[in-house]
Amino acid sequence: MKDEVFNELADLALKGSGQSIPKSKAYLIEARLAPIARREGFGTMEDLVHCVKSRANPAFISEIAATLVSKDTRFFRERDTLQRVLTDVLPERLKATNTGRLKIWLAGGSTGQEAYSLAILLEDELPPALRGAKIEILSTDICKVTTENARMGRYGHYDVQKGLSIHRLTKHFNRLETGQWEASEALRSHISFRQHNLLESAAGLGKFDVIICRNVLPGMARSARVRVVESLASQLVPGGLVLLGQGEGLIGLTNKLEPARDFRGAWVAAGTANAAASAA
Amino acid sequence: MKTCLIVDDSRVVRKVAARIIQDLKFNIVEAGNGAEALKACRESMPDAVLLDWNMPVMNGLDFLRALRREDGGKKPLVVFCSIENDAEHINEAIRSGADEFIMKPFDADILESKFAEVGLV
Repeated sequence: MKDEVFNELADLALKGSGQSIPKSKAYLIEARLAPIARREGFGTMEDLVHCVKSRANPAFISEIAATLVSKDTRFFRERDTLQRVLTDVLPERLKATNTGRLKIWLAGGSTGQEAYSLAILLEDELPPALRGAKIEILSTDICKVTTENARMGRYGHYDVQKGLSIHRLTKHFNRLETGQWEASEALRSHISFRQHNLLESAAGLGKFDVIICRNVLPGMARSARVRVVESLASQLVPGGLVLLGQGEGLIGLTNKLEPARDFRGAWVAAGTANAAASAA
Repeated sequence: MKTCLIVDDSRVVRKVAARIIQDLKFNIVEAGNGAEALKACRESMPDAVLLDWNMPVMNGLDFLRALRREDGGKKPLVVFCSIENDAEHINEAIRSGADEFIMKPFDADILESKFAEVGLV
Protein backbone atom coordinates (compact mmCIF):
# COMPACT_ATOMS: atom_id res chain seq x y z
CA MET A 1 0.00 0.00 0.00
CA LYS A 2 1.37 3.40 -0.99
CA ASP A 3 2.21 5.77 1.88
CA GLU A 4 -0.32 8.39 0.80
CA VAL A 5 -3.11 5.79 0.61
CA PHE A 6 -2.19 4.44 4.05
CA ASN A 7 -2.05 7.96 5.49
CA GLU A 8 -5.51 8.83 4.16
CA LEU A 9 -7.09 5.68 5.58
CA ALA A 10 -5.25 5.90 8.91
CA ASP A 11 -6.42 9.51 9.24
CA LEU A 12 -9.96 8.49 8.45
CA ALA A 13 -9.79 5.79 11.16
CA LEU A 14 -8.40 8.26 13.68
CA LYS A 15 -11.12 10.84 13.05
CA GLY A 16 -13.97 8.38 12.72
CA SER A 17 -13.28 5.93 15.53
CA GLY A 18 -10.21 7.19 17.39
CA GLN A 19 -8.15 4.21 16.20
CA SER A 20 -4.41 4.71 15.89
CA ILE A 21 -3.18 2.34 13.19
CA PRO A 22 0.60 2.15 12.75
CA LYS A 23 2.11 1.71 9.28
CA SER A 24 3.30 -1.76 10.32
CA LYS A 25 -0.37 -2.79 10.40
CA ALA A 26 -1.25 -1.55 6.91
CA TYR A 27 -2.12 -5.17 6.09
CA LEU A 28 -4.99 -4.95 8.61
CA ILE A 29 -6.47 -2.02 6.71
CA GLU A 30 -6.35 -4.00 3.46
CA ALA A 31 -7.86 -7.11 5.07
CA ARG A 32 -10.68 -5.26 6.82
CA LEU A 33 -11.61 -3.02 3.89
CA ALA A 34 -11.42 -5.74 1.22
CA PRO A 35 -15.15 -6.67 1.50
CA ILE A 36 -16.21 -3.01 1.11
CA ALA A 37 -13.82 -2.51 -1.82
CA ARG A 38 -15.24 -5.64 -3.51
CA ARG A 39 -18.83 -4.59 -2.87
CA GLU A 40 -18.24 -1.11 -4.30
CA GLY A 41 -16.23 -2.42 -7.25
CA PHE A 42 -12.90 -0.82 -6.36
CA GLY A 43 -9.91 -2.67 -7.77
CA THR A 44 -7.44 -1.17 -5.31
CA MET A 45 -7.34 0.72 -2.01
CA GLU A 46 -6.14 3.68 -4.05
CA ASP A 47 -9.45 3.68 -5.95
CA LEU A 48 -11.35 3.57 -2.67
CA VAL A 49 -9.41 6.51 -1.24
CA HIS A 50 -9.88 8.43 -4.47
CA CYS A 51 -13.65 7.93 -4.20
CA VAL A 52 -13.71 9.02 -0.56
CA LYS A 53 -11.78 12.19 -1.39
CA SER A 54 -13.67 13.11 -4.54
CA ARG A 55 -17.22 12.79 -3.22
CA ALA A 56 -17.60 13.25 0.51
CA ASN A 57 -20.21 10.77 1.71
CA PRO A 58 -20.39 10.86 5.52
CA ALA A 59 -22.23 7.53 5.77
CA PHE A 60 -19.62 5.78 3.63
CA ILE A 61 -16.75 7.37 5.56
CA SER A 62 -18.32 6.28 8.87
CA GLU A 63 -18.73 2.77 7.52
CA ILE A 64 -15.05 2.63 6.55
CA ALA A 65 -13.96 3.93 9.98
CA ALA A 66 -16.19 1.40 11.75
CA THR A 67 -14.95 -1.44 9.58
CA LEU A 68 -11.36 -0.64 10.52
CA VAL A 69 -12.03 -1.29 14.22
CA SER A 70 -10.90 -4.68 15.52
CA LYS A 71 -13.68 -7.20 16.07
CA ASP A 72 -11.52 -9.56 18.07
CA THR A 73 -13.54 -11.16 20.86
CA ARG A 74 -14.53 -14.56 22.21
CA PHE A 75 -16.93 -16.24 24.60
CA PHE A 76 -16.00 -15.97 28.29
CA ARG A 77 -12.94 -13.82 27.69
CA GLU A 78 -11.43 -13.05 31.10
CA ARG A 79 -13.95 -15.41 32.65
CA ASP A 80 -12.95 -14.67 36.26
CA THR A 81 -13.92 -11.02 35.85
CA LEU A 82 -17.36 -11.89 34.46
CA GLN A 83 -17.85 -14.36 37.28
CA ARG A 84 -16.96 -11.72 39.84
CA VAL A 85 -19.40 -9.26 38.31
CA LEU A 86 -22.12 -11.84 38.85
CA THR A 87 -21.20 -13.06 42.32
CA ASP A 88 -19.89 -9.87 43.98
CA VAL A 89 -20.52 -6.68 42.04
CA LEU A 90 -24.16 -7.09 41.02
CA PRO A 91 -25.39 -8.26 44.46
CA GLU A 92 -23.59 -5.29 46.06
CA ARG A 93 -25.11 -2.92 43.54
CA LEU A 94 -28.56 -4.39 44.04
CA LYS A 95 -28.32 -3.79 47.79
CA ALA A 96 -27.27 -0.21 47.13
CA THR A 97 -29.96 0.65 44.59
CA ASN A 98 -33.24 -0.69 46.06
CA THR A 99 -34.86 -0.32 42.61
CA GLY A 100 -34.48 -4.02 41.83
CA ARG A 101 -32.99 -3.04 38.49
CA LEU A 102 -29.36 -3.32 37.33
CA LYS A 103 -27.86 -2.22 34.05
CA ILE A 104 -24.65 -3.43 32.40
CA TRP A 105 -23.10 -1.83 29.34
CA LEU A 106 -20.65 -3.69 27.14
CA ALA A 107 -18.98 -0.77 25.40
CA GLY A 108 -17.37 -1.96 22.18
CA GLY A 109 -19.16 -5.29 22.45
CA SER A 110 -18.25 -6.34 18.90
CA THR A 111 -20.12 -9.44 17.68
CA GLY A 112 -21.76 -10.07 21.05
CA GLN A 113 -19.84 -13.00 22.54
CA GLU A 114 -19.21 -11.19 25.84
CA ALA A 115 -22.85 -10.16 26.15
CA TYR A 116 -24.03 -13.72 25.51
CA SER A 117 -21.43 -15.01 28.01
CA LEU A 118 -22.92 -12.77 30.68
CA ALA A 119 -26.43 -13.89 29.73
CA ILE A 120 -25.30 -17.53 30.06
CA LEU A 121 -24.03 -16.79 33.56
CA LEU A 122 -27.36 -15.15 34.43
CA GLU A 123 -29.18 -18.25 33.20
CA ASP A 124 -26.86 -20.87 34.73
CA GLU A 125 -25.36 -19.37 37.85
CA LEU A 126 -27.61 -16.63 39.13
CA PRO A 127 -26.76 -16.10 42.81
CA PRO A 128 -29.72 -16.22 45.24
CA ALA A 129 -29.10 -12.54 46.06
CA LEU A 130 -29.99 -11.61 42.47
CA ARG A 131 -33.21 -13.61 42.19
CA GLY A 132 -36.04 -11.37 41.16
CA ALA A 133 -33.74 -8.56 40.04
CA LYS A 134 -34.20 -7.11 36.58
CA ILE A 135 -30.76 -7.24 34.97
CA GLU A 136 -30.39 -5.60 31.58
CA ILE A 137 -27.36 -5.95 29.33
CA LEU A 138 -26.68 -3.42 26.58
CA SER A 139 -24.00 -4.24 24.02
CA THR A 140 -22.91 -1.49 21.66
CA ASP A 141 -20.54 -1.41 18.73
CA ILE A 142 -19.51 1.28 16.29
CA CYS A 143 -20.20 -0.92 13.27
CA LYS A 144 -23.77 -1.35 12.01
CA VAL A 145 -23.12 -4.73 10.42
CA THR A 146 -21.33 -6.03 13.53
CA THR A 147 -24.21 -4.84 15.70
CA GLU A 148 -26.73 -6.59 13.44
CA ASN A 149 -24.67 -9.80 13.56
CA ALA A 150 -24.51 -9.60 17.35
CA ARG A 151 -28.27 -9.12 17.53
CA MET A 152 -28.86 -12.20 15.35
CA GLY A 153 -26.65 -14.21 17.72
CA ARG A 154 -25.48 -16.62 15.03
CA TYR A 155 -21.97 -17.98 15.27
CA GLY A 156 -19.84 -20.22 13.12
CA HIS A 157 -17.95 -23.39 13.84
CA TYR A 158 -14.75 -21.66 15.01
CA ASP A 159 -16.40 -18.96 17.15
CA VAL A 160 -18.50 -21.36 19.25
CA GLN A 161 -15.52 -23.55 20.03
CA LYS A 162 -13.45 -20.83 21.64
CA GLY A 163 -14.33 -20.22 25.27
CA LEU A 164 -17.64 -22.06 25.21
CA SER A 165 -17.94 -25.59 26.64
CA ILE A 166 -19.86 -28.16 24.65
CA HIS A 167 -22.39 -28.39 27.49
CA ARG A 168 -23.15 -24.67 27.28
CA LEU A 169 -23.16 -24.72 23.51
CA THR A 170 -25.80 -27.45 23.30
CA LYS A 171 -27.81 -25.98 26.17
CA HIS A 172 -27.98 -22.38 24.98
CA PHE A 173 -27.57 -22.52 21.20
CA ASN A 174 -29.49 -24.23 18.44
CA ARG A 175 -27.71 -25.61 15.40
CA LEU A 176 -29.11 -24.24 12.15
CA GLU A 177 -29.16 -26.03 8.81
CA THR A 178 -26.41 -23.68 7.66
CA GLY A 179 -24.12 -25.20 10.31
CA GLN A 180 -24.20 -21.99 12.36
CA TRP A 181 -25.28 -21.99 16.01
CA GLU A 182 -27.98 -19.53 17.13
CA ALA A 183 -28.34 -18.16 20.64
CA SER A 184 -31.55 -19.23 22.39
CA GLU A 185 -34.46 -16.87 22.99
CA ALA A 186 -33.74 -17.07 26.72
CA LEU A 187 -30.23 -15.65 26.20
CA ARG A 188 -31.41 -12.98 23.81
CA SER A 189 -34.07 -11.80 26.24
CA HIS A 190 -31.33 -10.47 28.56
CA ILE A 191 -29.58 -8.33 25.93
CA SER A 192 -30.27 -5.36 23.70
CA PHE A 193 -27.88 -4.29 20.96
CA ARG A 194 -27.31 -0.83 19.65
CA GLN A 195 -24.92 0.86 17.23
CA HIS A 196 -22.91 3.50 19.06
CA ASN A 197 -19.64 5.32 18.41
CA LEU A 198 -17.76 5.64 21.70
CA LEU A 199 -16.40 9.01 20.57
CA GLU A 200 -19.91 10.40 20.64
CA SER A 201 -21.99 11.31 23.68
CA ALA A 202 -23.44 8.28 25.46
CA ALA A 203 -26.04 10.31 27.35
CA GLY A 204 -28.84 8.72 25.33
CA LEU A 205 -27.89 5.25 26.52
CA GLY A 206 -28.70 5.98 30.17
CA LYS A 207 -26.73 5.25 33.33
CA PHE A 208 -25.15 1.93 34.23
CA ASP A 209 -24.14 -0.01 37.32
CA VAL A 210 -21.33 -1.76 35.47
CA ILE A 211 -19.58 -0.72 32.25
CA ILE A 212 -17.31 -3.31 30.64
CA CYS A 213 -14.95 -1.92 28.02
CA ARG A 214 -12.22 -4.40 27.19
CA ASN A 215 -9.63 -4.40 24.43
CA VAL A 216 -11.07 -1.19 23.02
CA LEU A 217 -8.84 1.52 24.47
CA PRO A 218 -5.40 0.05 23.63
CA GLY A 219 -5.98 0.53 19.89
CA MET A 220 -6.95 4.17 20.29
CA ALA A 221 -4.97 7.39 20.11
CA ARG A 222 -4.45 9.03 23.50
CA SER A 223 -6.86 11.89 22.85
CA ALA A 224 -9.59 9.43 21.86
CA ARG A 225 -8.91 7.29 24.95
CA VAL A 226 -9.37 10.32 27.19
CA ARG A 227 -12.63 11.21 25.47
CA VAL A 228 -14.00 7.67 25.68
CA VAL A 229 -12.99 7.14 29.32
CA GLU A 230 -14.58 10.40 30.41
CA SER A 231 -17.74 9.51 28.51
CA LEU A 232 -17.86 6.10 30.24
CA ALA A 233 -17.29 7.77 33.63
CA SER A 234 -20.21 10.11 33.04
CA GLN A 235 -22.56 7.16 32.40
CA LEU A 236 -21.93 5.48 35.78
CA VAL A 237 -24.58 5.54 38.46
CA PRO A 238 -23.14 6.60 41.84
CA GLY A 239 -21.21 3.59 43.13
CA GLY A 240 -21.01 1.96 39.69
CA LEU A 241 -17.79 0.69 38.16
CA VAL A 242 -15.93 0.50 34.88
CA LEU A 243 -14.11 -2.72 34.03
CA LEU A 244 -11.22 -2.70 31.60
CA GLY A 245 -9.24 -5.59 30.10
CA GLN A 246 -6.25 -7.17 31.79
CA GLY A 247 -3.27 -4.87 31.71
CA GLU A 248 -5.28 -1.86 30.58
CA GLY A 249 -4.77 1.18 32.78
CA LEU A 250 -6.01 4.72 33.04
CA ILE A 251 -3.27 6.30 35.11
CA GLY A 252 -2.47 9.72 33.68
CA LEU A 253 -5.47 9.62 31.32
CA THR A 254 -8.25 10.98 33.49
CA ASN A 255 -8.93 12.28 36.97
CA LYS A 256 -12.58 11.21 36.83
CA LEU A 257 -11.92 7.56 37.66
CA GLU A 258 -9.68 5.83 40.19
CA PRO A 259 -8.84 2.16 40.75
CA ALA A 260 -11.41 0.28 42.81
CA ARG A 261 -10.01 -1.24 45.99
CA ASP A 262 -9.69 -5.03 45.98
CA PHE A 263 -10.78 -5.44 42.35
CA ARG A 264 -7.95 -5.32 39.87
CA GLY A 265 -9.02 -3.84 36.52
CA ALA A 266 -12.07 -2.10 38.00
CA TRP A 267 -12.41 1.69 38.20
CA VAL A 268 -14.83 3.83 40.15
CA ALA A 269 -15.69 7.53 40.20
CA ALA A 270 -12.80 9.56 41.63
CA GLY A 271 -13.02 10.07 45.37
CA THR A 272 -15.31 7.07 45.97
CA ALA A 273 -12.92 4.07 46.14
CA ASN A 274 -12.23 4.49 49.86
CA ALA A 275 -15.84 5.31 50.61
CA ALA A 276 -16.99 2.15 48.79
CA ALA A 277 -14.46 0.04 50.69
CA SER A 278 -15.45 1.38 54.09
CA ALA A 279 -19.16 0.98 53.28
CA ALA A 280 -18.48 -2.66 52.37
CA MET B 1 4.21 -34.70 32.49
CA LYS B 2 0.68 -35.70 31.52
CA THR B 3 -0.02 -38.13 28.70
CA CYS B 4 -2.53 -37.72 25.90
CA LEU B 5 -3.66 -40.60 23.73
CA ILE B 6 -4.62 -39.43 20.24
CA VAL B 7 -7.00 -41.83 18.51
CA ASP B 8 -7.68 -41.18 14.84
CA ASP B 9 -7.41 -43.31 11.71
CA SER B 10 -5.89 -40.39 9.82
CA ARG B 11 -2.14 -40.16 10.27
CA VAL B 12 -2.27 -36.52 9.18
CA VAL B 13 -4.82 -35.59 11.87
CA ARG B 14 -2.77 -37.46 14.51
CA LYS B 15 0.35 -35.62 13.43
CA VAL B 16 -1.29 -32.18 13.49
CA ALA B 17 -2.98 -32.83 16.85
CA ALA B 18 0.23 -34.27 18.33
CA ARG B 19 2.18 -31.15 17.43
CA ILE B 20 -0.42 -28.89 19.09
CA ILE B 21 -0.84 -31.04 22.20
CA GLN B 22 2.92 -31.42 22.67
CA ASP B 23 3.08 -27.64 22.89
CA LEU B 24 0.59 -27.91 25.76
CA LYS B 25 3.24 -30.03 27.59
CA PHE B 26 1.81 -33.50 27.07
CA ASN B 27 3.52 -36.78 26.19
CA ILE B 28 1.81 -38.25 23.17
CA VAL B 29 0.68 -41.82 22.48
CA GLU B 30 -1.08 -42.57 19.19
CA ALA B 31 -3.62 -45.18 18.09
CA GLY B 32 -5.23 -45.70 14.68
CA ASN B 33 -8.54 -47.12 15.93
CA GLY B 34 -10.53 -47.92 19.07
CA ALA B 35 -9.11 -51.42 19.53
CA GLU B 36 -5.52 -50.15 19.44
CA ALA B 37 -6.51 -47.36 21.81
CA LEU B 38 -8.07 -49.80 24.30
CA LYS B 39 -4.87 -51.88 24.23
CA ALA B 40 -2.81 -48.74 24.89
CA CYS B 41 -5.06 -47.79 27.83
CA ARG B 42 -4.73 -51.27 29.36
CA GLU B 43 -0.95 -50.89 29.24
CA SER B 44 -0.99 -47.41 30.73
CA MET B 45 -4.03 -45.23 31.40
CA PRO B 46 -3.52 -41.76 29.86
CA ASP B 47 -4.62 -38.47 31.45
CA ALA B 48 -6.44 -37.34 28.31
CA VAL B 49 -7.83 -38.91 25.15
CA LEU B 50 -8.49 -37.01 21.92
CA LEU B 51 -10.95 -39.28 20.14
CA ASP B 52 -12.21 -39.53 16.57
CA TRP B 53 -15.67 -40.99 15.91
CA ASN B 54 -15.54 -42.91 12.63
CA MET B 55 -12.68 -45.42 12.54
CA PRO B 56 -12.26 -48.99 11.24
CA VAL B 57 -12.13 -52.02 13.60
CA MET B 58 -13.62 -50.17 16.59
CA ASN B 59 -15.19 -46.70 16.37
CA GLY B 60 -14.75 -43.93 18.92
CA LEU B 61 -18.10 -44.40 20.63
CA ASP B 62 -17.57 -48.14 21.19
CA PHE B 63 -14.06 -47.44 22.48
CA LEU B 64 -15.34 -44.80 24.89
CA ARG B 65 -18.02 -47.08 26.32
CA ALA B 66 -15.47 -49.88 26.72
CA LEU B 67 -12.93 -47.51 28.29
CA ARG B 68 -15.37 -46.30 30.92
CA ARG B 69 -15.97 -49.94 31.96
CA GLU B 70 -12.23 -50.64 32.40
CA ASP B 71 -10.44 -50.50 35.75
CA GLY B 72 -9.29 -46.88 36.04
CA GLY B 73 -11.17 -46.08 32.83
CA LYS B 74 -13.07 -43.20 34.39
CA LYS B 75 -9.84 -41.28 34.96
CA PRO B 76 -8.95 -40.03 31.47
CA LEU B 77 -10.65 -36.86 30.33
CA VAL B 78 -12.00 -37.66 26.89
CA VAL B 79 -12.36 -34.99 24.25
CA PHE B 80 -14.27 -36.24 21.22
CA CYS B 81 -13.06 -34.80 17.96
CA SER B 82 -15.36 -35.50 15.06
CA ILE B 83 -16.85 -34.31 11.83
CA GLU B 84 -20.22 -35.58 13.19
CA ASN B 85 -21.19 -32.26 14.71
CA ASP B 86 -24.98 -32.15 14.97
CA ALA B 87 -26.59 -31.91 18.40
CA GLU B 88 -27.71 -35.56 18.31
CA HIS B 89 -24.17 -36.92 17.83
CA ILE B 90 -22.75 -34.49 20.38
CA ASN B 91 -25.32 -35.50 23.00
CA GLU B 92 -24.69 -39.18 22.31
CA ALA B 93 -20.97 -38.67 22.86
CA ILE B 94 -21.58 -36.84 26.14
CA ARG B 95 -24.03 -39.50 27.34
CA SER B 96 -21.44 -42.16 26.57
CA GLY B 97 -18.88 -40.49 28.80
CA ALA B 98 -17.11 -37.80 26.76
CA ASP B 99 -16.06 -34.71 28.74
CA GLU B 100 -15.78 -32.33 25.80
CA PHE B 101 -16.39 -32.28 22.07
CA ILE B 102 -14.43 -30.67 19.26
CA MET B 103 -16.09 -30.23 15.90
CA LYS B 104 -13.66 -30.83 13.05
CA PRO B 105 -11.90 -29.03 11.48
CA PHE B 106 -10.05 -27.58 14.44
CA ASP B 107 -7.06 -25.35 15.05
CA ALA B 108 -4.60 -24.91 17.92
CA ASP B 109 -6.76 -22.25 19.57
CA ILE B 110 -9.82 -24.53 19.64
CA LEU B 111 -7.85 -27.48 20.97
CA GLU B 112 -6.28 -25.42 23.74
CA SER B 113 -9.64 -23.84 24.59
CA LYS B 114 -11.33 -27.25 24.87
CA PHE B 115 -8.49 -28.70 26.96
CA ALA B 116 -8.84 -25.65 29.24
CA GLU B 117 -12.61 -26.26 29.58
CA VAL B 118 -11.94 -29.62 31.21
CA GLY B 119 -8.99 -28.42 33.27
CA LEU B 120 -6.26 -30.16 31.27
CA VAL B 121 -4.32 -26.92 30.80
